[in-house]
Amino acid sequence: MSPAVLTGSLRKEFKLGWGRGRVLAVEGLDLEVKRGEVFGLLGPNGSGKSTAMKMILGLLRPTAGQAEVCGFRAGTLAARKQIGFLPENPYFPAFLSGAELVSYYGKLCGMGGKRLEARVQELLALVRLGGEAGQRPLRTYSKGMLQRAGLAGALVSDPEIVMLDEPTAGVDPAGSREIRDLIRELKQRGKTVIFSSHLLEQVEDVADRVIILHRGQKLREGRLEDLLTQTTEWQVRARGLREDRRKELHAWLVQQGAEIMQEGFPRERLEDFFLRSLPEKERR
Amino acid sequence: MSESWRRIRAVAGNTFLEAVRQKVFAVMLIFGLVFLGGANYFADFSFQEQFKFLKDLGYATISLTGLLVGLLGAAQLIPAEIERRTILTALCRPLRRWEFVLGKYLGLAALLGAMLMIMALMFWVVLRWKEAQLMGTEGSDTAVAQAIQAEARDPRLWQAFVLMAAKLFVISAIAVFFSTLATSTTFVVAMTLMVVFIGHLQSVAREQWLESGETLGWILKMFLAAVALLVPDFNLYNLIDEIVAGNVVYWRATLEVAAYSITYVLVLLMAAAWLFEGRDL
Ligand SMILES: Nc1ncnc2c1ncn2[C@@H]1O[C@H](COP(=O)(O)OP(=O)(O)OP(=O)(O)O)[C@@H](O)[C@H]1O
Ligand SMILES: [Mg+2]
Repeated sequence: MSPAVLTGSLRKEFKLGWGRGRVLAVEGLDLEVKRGEVFGLLGPNGSGKSTAMKMILGLLRPTAGQAEVCGFRAGTLAARKQIGFLPENPYFPAFLSGAELVSYYGKLCGMGGKRLEARVQELLALVRLGGEAGQRPLRTYSKGMLQRAGLAGALVSDPEIVMLDEPTAGVDPAGSREIRDLIRELKQRGKTVIFSSHLLEQVEDVADRVIILHRGQKLREGRLEDLLTQTTEWQVRARGLREDRRKELHAWLVQQGAEIMQEGFPRERLEDFFLRSLPEKERR
Repeated sequence: MSESWRRIRAVAGNTFLEAVRQKVFAVMLIFGLVFLGGANYFADFSFQEQFKFLKDLGYATISLTGLLVGLLGAAQLIPAEIERRTILTALCRPLRRWEFVLGKYLGLAALLGAMLMIMALMFWVVLRWKEAQLMGTEGSDTAVAQAIQAEARDPRLWQAFVLMAAKLFVISAIAVFFSTLATSTTFVVAMTLMVVFIGHLQSVAREQWLESGETLGWILKMFLAAVALLVPDFNLYNLIDEIVAGNVVYWRATLEVAAYSITYVLVLLMAAAWLFEGRDL
């Protein structure tokens, strides 16, 4: 089976016009995203993440190189049928309600009738915009609600690939946890998820594989496990060890010739602490 | 094809809905209606003069309101979507770019058509109202009564309506054409007005040259031919003025102009779609 996304030497230069030169946004990008994988595009601001995604969608014309989606040339109708996309800082027609938005995107995908109506309700419930919230104009939505409405819109045609550009930007920890849970759920249903982020600790939780972009070029690529596991070191995290025993352990390790790099009470991540502080039913 | 049509309809419907919910257009429509209704109270001359005044004002109101909506509405159709980046969430779908352009245009055309229709109906009501008033005061003489009825029930109103709609559809198509190239609405409006201006001048210029008997150099000939081909001849729509002036205009001529307009709209939209195809978003 052809990979979900395949690019070869993808390159994008933006002409600034009026003799102001060009910006090189993506250079020589080779990517292969396998089906059913959760793939993270990482990189600092301006590293070309959004540009790469837009070329895969055909919203931007590559200056050179090629891209394929499930074996179809990027930008063709067949290729776009495979992808549901949520752009960064998405703006939606503010005069629509959440339900109308999802329904509009469904129609743009060629859906209609009862099937679409049912799908809209199902998705709104999934992103917790069911009932009254779904009927309100988007103008009245909070940032997190907008992002969730956009997610529902991206999923409407039940695409094979879901591509999310900074899906957790501007969303609170609980909301971004929800989005990560949703990504996991999509993976379980056999979908391919491609997402970009510069919030690295969030990527860690969900991505199978990542690439790191810098100034449009690929710096690193690989399975997170391989990239992050430091096979030259060893770590133990234990409970119920008495204080005097700790000293003994320390002495024993030194005796074994180990260099102790870190020792002490582990610290919780602020995000987990935050979530633990919320009322039980809102944690999810 | 049916799927394609469904997508075009979705874009058109959304465009129409946006305009309706934005209320700017409602305000303009109300302005037009109030103006038409109010026109009835101005005139206090002979009944011919009253009708003349009413018609001048009525046609002017309809075409001005229509121009505002058709020109400004069309000029921002695509630039606004790009500006707000809502275009990204639309064109990442399996939606062809020409379908998007066509859908946007059709949505606006539907809005424009609906507005013109409402205003024309309103105008018709105003004319009949005037008729009833005048019949009450001066209708005792059969000859006068017939003349009043002829003025009030002038079927050329609908011809003028068709011509105005045709003209405005062409103007909006020109604006859509320019908006696929530009990001600034002001630029689009300026370019469109310029083309309309050239469109008014070109046939006058051509006649002038022909009458002066000068032999034209082939470069000038080519240039004139190119302009004639690229720019619609807006003098054709002077038929509207003929109708307002009370002259006879045949339906055949009206429909010919309509057909000419539709052809231009199609050509302009195809060119717009073609230009839009390769544009980075
Ligand atoms: N339309 C454009 N015209 C000119 N330059 C552009 C355009 N779009 C992007 N760029 C440039 O291309 C580079 C990559 O931009 P891109 O938006 O892809 O980065 P990114 O990785 O998505 O960044 P961020 O994390 O801020 O979203 C940047 O230097 C940016 O200035
Ligand atoms: Mg970006």
